Amino acid sequence: MTVVLAYAPGDLGTASARAAGSAAALLGARVVIVNATRADRLVDPRWADEAELAQVIEILDDAGVDHEVRHLRSGSLPADVVLEVAEEVDAELVVVGLRRRTPVGKLVLGSTPQQILLRASCPVLAVKA
Amino acid sequence: MDNISALMDGFATVVQPVYLLYALFGVFIGTAVGVLPGIGPAMTIALLLPLTYSLDATAAIIVFAGIYYGGMYGGSTTSILLNTPGESASIVTALEGHKMARLGRGAAALATAAIGSFVAGTIATVLLTLVAPFMASWAVQLGEPDYFALMVVAFITVGALLGRSVPRGMVALALGLFLGLMGTDTLTGQQRFTFGIPNLADGLNVVIVAVGLFAVGEALYVASRMRHGPVHVIPVEKGWRTWMKPEDWRRSWKPWLRGTVIGFPIGTIPAGGADVATFLSYATERKLARKHKDEFGHGAIEGVAGPESANNAAASGVLVPLLTLGLPTTATAAIIIVAFQSYGIQPGPMLFQTQSSLVWALVASLYIGNLMLIVLNLPLVGMWVKVLQIPRHYLYAGILLFGALGSYALSFSPIDVLILLVIGVVGFFMRRYGYPVAPMVVGMILGPMAEDRLRRSLTISQGDLSYLVTSPFAATAYVSILVIVGLGLWLKHREKRANAELSRLGEEIREESQSQEVN
Amino acid sequence: MLPPPNVPPGEPPAPGGARPQASPGPGGATRDGQVATEELPLAGGQGTSEAAAAHTAAAPRRRVGEFVVAAVTIALGVFVVVDAGTIVVPGAAGTMGPRAFPYLVGGLLLGSGLLVLVGLLRGRFGEEDDGEDVDPDAPTDWKTVALLGCIFVAHVYTINIAGWPVAATLLFGGSAIVLGARPWWRAVLLGAVLALVIQILFGGVLGLSLPPGPFLEGVSLFRG
Repeated sequence: MTVVLAYAPGDLGTASARAAGSAAALLGARVVIVNATRADRLVDPRWADEAELAQVIEILDDAGVDHEVRHLRSGSLPADVVLEVAEEVDAELVVVGLRRRTPVGKLVLGSTPQQILLRASCPVLAVKA
Repeated sequence: MDNISALMDGFATVVQPVYLLYALFGVFIGTAVGVLPGIGPAMTIALLLPLTYSLDATAAIIVFAGIYYGGMYGGSTTSILLNTPGESASIVTALEGHKMARLGRGAAALATAAIGSFVAGTIATVLLTLVAPFMASWAVQLGEPDYFALMVVAFITVGALLGRSVPRGMVALALGLFLGLMGTDTLTGQQRFTFGIPNLADGLNVVIVAVGLFAVGEALYVASRMRHGPVHVIPVEKGWRTWMKPEDWRRSWKPWLRGTVIGFPIGTIPAGGADVATFLSYATERKLARKHKDEFGHGAIEGVAGPESANNAAASGVLVPLLTLGLPTTATAAIIIVAFQSYGIQPGPMLFQTQSSLVWALVASLYIGNLMLIVLNLPLVGMWVKVLQIPRHYLYAGILLFGALGSYALSFSPIDVLILLVIGVVGFFMRRYGYPVAPMVVGMILGPMAEDRLRRSLTISQGDLSYLVTSPFAATAYVSILVIVGLGLWLKHREKRANAELSRLGEEIREESQSQEVN
Repeated sequence: MLPPPNVPPGEPPAPGGARPQASPGPGGATRDGQVATEELPLAGGQGTSEAAAAHTAAAPRRRVGEFVVAAVTIALGVFVVVDAGTIVVPGAAGTMGPRAFPYLVGGLLLGSGLLVLVGLLRGRFGEEDDGEDVDPDAPTDWKTVALLGCIFVAHVYTINIAGWPVAATLLFGGSAIVLGARPWWRAVLLGAVLALVIQILFGGVLGLSLPPGPFLEGVSLFRG
């Protein structure tokens, strides 16, 4: 049984990590942490560094669940990467942090959580900050 | 001294709200492009050239000067926070500054860089104010053969020293001279190298060539080798109190001054350039540091303070030969000359007399620009970091768009945009094979002028070639070519070795950070 | 103390599919074992062997290119000197006619081209420009450059047919997509917005009216 956590650094990311930990503990599942970037710019705020990933791992350890990290660079959009991993591991649940965004913001900047919510074939847990 | 009163007039001009806005715009854009790696002041000025035609000369020059200075400031932000130099002169800052950032002292590094840049920039501008008119008034006595000698000095120094390889630089120069030849000979009305194409009868437009070489060529080259891999930014501590501790001030102020003293003279000589100045300053600071010697390579604040100051002082120094002799010593200087020329103004000894108000407004705007920059840079670091989040594909698409726009806007002819593309492709190949681009622009700008001077000299002397070398200034100039080129090559060699060592250190840091365990 | 993520440090992505932009469609995620640490462009260590291979593999092609460039330069020099001879010299040309400088320039082209050639024969190849945003180890992506060139040409021909805004949208959107923008419609949208803003700015503020084209003829805002 696997729970996929779509992780991006920040308070929202920490909250989603905690939620993923609790959910996985309840389900008796392990967590696959997915953090992806398109590597298309010099500074990507969604790309986690070692310290941040270590923090997530610590949270999951505290929750007592197994984990696996997928730290990926890919030409696909992050939503696609997450969904693909979910397919591959046959996930029971996808956990993603949901940020408030205006409709224009969603159009211009895109909304990964929205894409995941709409296209996932399994239940999605949307975590608010 | 009536230079001071002229300067005051300059201030009076610049302080008008409109010109202040232009200065602000310039330093803003300059910092933004300085922050972005791969895009620099030269490219930006080239891109903005056609678009500023509708502005008056003073406004346009103020904008470009702001971009020039802003580029220096922006580069240090990226170097310190990212270990990736934003401007090529910053490999040294990238090392020490980034190390400081990793140790949690990023804010202090940024502060010392910014304040040092301000101090150096201001002092250097004062020096410029004093030296330039003096040189200009002396340079007015120059005759035709002297001007020609000056241009030969420019050609050879730029060709030999602005790139990595002397022969390739000379090829680039020769290509530029060739492009400058295309068109109708002013003296005899004969068409030269126009291949029967009517569009070429007036010659190629320098602006198109500049934009093509600096902007489109660079964009194509980067596109061919797009870099991958995001780099994480080191967050900067908020709050003013964490910026610089008293000890930091104490350790920084002497390097600031030393950096200025090292940087300014180096900037004034041909092909010194900011690179050499930063490297020399770093070496000096390392030698002079007694208490903190072992910190070098691990985050010594002197290693940031000195080189950053030297960088800015050198930038001001470059303006001395530019304004007084019309001699470009860096790629950006060449573009600035193109900018002047597009308004029909020729930098040189006569500039201070014929365009006194413009020049002094320019100098005044440098002081004000420096002030704006230090106010902008420190508090707005967060914003500059956001600039780095623009995806590369949009950035370079934008460069191509603005390049095309500018070329089209020159005379609303799509052919010009095609020419732009061709030149851009040439620029691409030049970069690929290691041919420096700046000498080509210099050759194209100064070539026709050099021919002109040569002709006049020979007309005066009625064909006597020795006239070209009998004038004391000309003779000295020709001899000094050897000295300058020799010195330049030696300095470059030293710098190359030092850079190799420094980038090795930089790589070690990167590997360190990759395998770092966090407790 | 946390167990370190099991990672082969600095393991490089596979050479062929290394560049994310080359990966087609949604199935393009690169997998490097359990954890792939971010690979910074100048990373030393394991990255270099693969990268070095790519570098030297590119070298033979570059070497040929270098000779071609040197040859072209020399040929150009010869051409300039010869063509200079055809320049008409009117009688009253003075001491230095229209041919003199061309001869000099041709000579310089020839001379420096020969110098480069000699350097090449001795093994001193040019160092390619390492701008800050360039990956020094990546092989040259000719396809992207060619595509960009085509888009540029298309842009030129579109200006007078469909107006500047459309042409500009084509240029920006097309270039962005070729360089890796996803999804495509966002790039085109941004391009359109940018083009329209520029059109208004130039027409209205700067007084330079760019041809609006058949779609926007009617709108006076765009005509400046």
